[in-house]
Amino acid sequence: MININAIHKSFGDVEVLKGVSLTVAKGEVVCLIGPSGSGKSTVLRCINGLESYDQGSITINDRQVDVASKDINDLRTQVGMVFQRFNLFPHRTVVENVMEGPIFVKNEPREKAQVQAIALLEKVGLGDKVHAYPQQLSGGQQQRVAIARALAMQPEAILFDEPTSALDPELVGDVLTVMRDLANEGMTMVVVTHEMSFAKEVADRVCFLYGGQIVESGDAHTLLTQPSHERTQDFLRRVLNH
Amino acid sequence: MEFSDITAFLPILLKGALITVQITIGALLLSTLLGLLLALMKLSPVRAFSITAGTFINVVRGLPIIVQLFYIYFVLPELGIQLSALQASIIGLGVAYSAYQAENFRAGIEAIEAGQIEAARSIGMKSKLIMRRVVLPQAIRIALPPYGNTAVMILKDSSLASTITVAEMTRAGQLIAASTFQNTTVYTLVALLYLCLSLPLIFGVNRLERYFGKSAKGGKS
Repeated sequence: MININAIHKSFGDVEVLKGVSLTVAKGEVVCLIGPSGSGKSTVLRCINGLESYDQGSITINDRQVDVASKDINDLRTQVGMVFQRFNLFPHRTVVENVMEGPIFVKNEPREKAQVQAIALLEKVGLGDKVHAYPQQLSGGQQQRVAIARALAMQPEAILFDEPTSALDPELVGDVLTVMRDLANEGMTMVVVTHEMSFAKEVADRVCFLYGGQIVESGDAHTLLTQPSHERTQDFLRRVLNH
Repeated sequence: MEFSDITAFLPILLKGALITVQITIGALLLSTLLGLLLALMKLSPVRAFSITAGTFINVVRGLPIIVQLFYIYFVLPELGIQLSALQASIIGLGVAYSAYQAENFRAGIEAIEAGQIEAARSIGMKSKLIMRRVVLPQAIRIALPPYGNTAVMILKDSSLASTITVAEMTRAGQLIAASTFQNTTVYTLVALLYLCLSLPLIFGVNRLERYFGKSAKGGKS
């Protein structure tokens, strides 16, 4: 469904992606792990065109991702994104955040969008927070609203950019539970994460990025327990010892 | 200071106050529209727009408002553009303050986190929609306190219209004082009347700030 073919990307003189290739099939959950600066978030941001790439190609369902094309907004409705810092709209209530896309991008009637939004908020366990403002919620609750906002567009895949990194440890579990449920329902997911236990349990495949390249990828359990590459071993040793 | 003086002067000053209010509202509206346009132009990726807006803002900010008023009232007629003194004062103040409004709005727009725009893009919103639904509503809340201050300054600077013969409150006061020599009574009344106009405006802005602040900052009330 998502097909990344040898993409390169530089910020000024720094080449952050040096030929990354990755294929994500429908219903697959792929976790990207690696040290900070390895390029994992950039890969994610290239997939939905928040960042352009210099070489190579990315296609979603055989449609080219091109930041400059008019098609990009339509492609973005098919691939949702959940950010580290939630990025909810602070001037709108929880339910309005979730309804925003369906009403103003998909031109759905308000009533229909509201029914759907409330159902999604109940699904992520926030049925009682519908009319709160984002700032009145905990980080974990905000992130679940952000997931509901992405789901409201009925995307074919969702990209998660370190969704639990900005959360207090006790709030991480609720967000991971929602993500686990999504994976079980067959949602296609690409997740940049530092939660190794989540990756081991939920991911079909894990890719380890280092220095702008995928150094090792494979079945989640094998890669996380018996990494073959030295860099991967090194990284996992440091992460798991914390 | 005699009571009979006050009752005699007050109706004339109130007539002036009405014109003061007209100038203030007119100039505020004009400066808001023009200021918003300038702010959007200045932030535009099209260089011709941003340079034009930037130059305009700098020139207007670099000129005394009174000179701008003189220019509009005395020079434009020579170029064939006839304006009444009231129109000239509204346009002069409106244009002069549009430069400050543009900077207020620009600061508000630039204060919006990049993540807000990325989130909007990620659900497929286009630039214009993002501006209307995500950026401007938040920018207005941020720009509101400086906007309120600008409104108060326009109210006070509407007194400059007295220099181009508009019979607003200051001019009305000058005329009464010149013919009665009751300087203390007249200018005390003028000062009090200005406060009657400006203080409610200041309190109103404070209230609005609190009202908007609730949803923007999320007080748990």
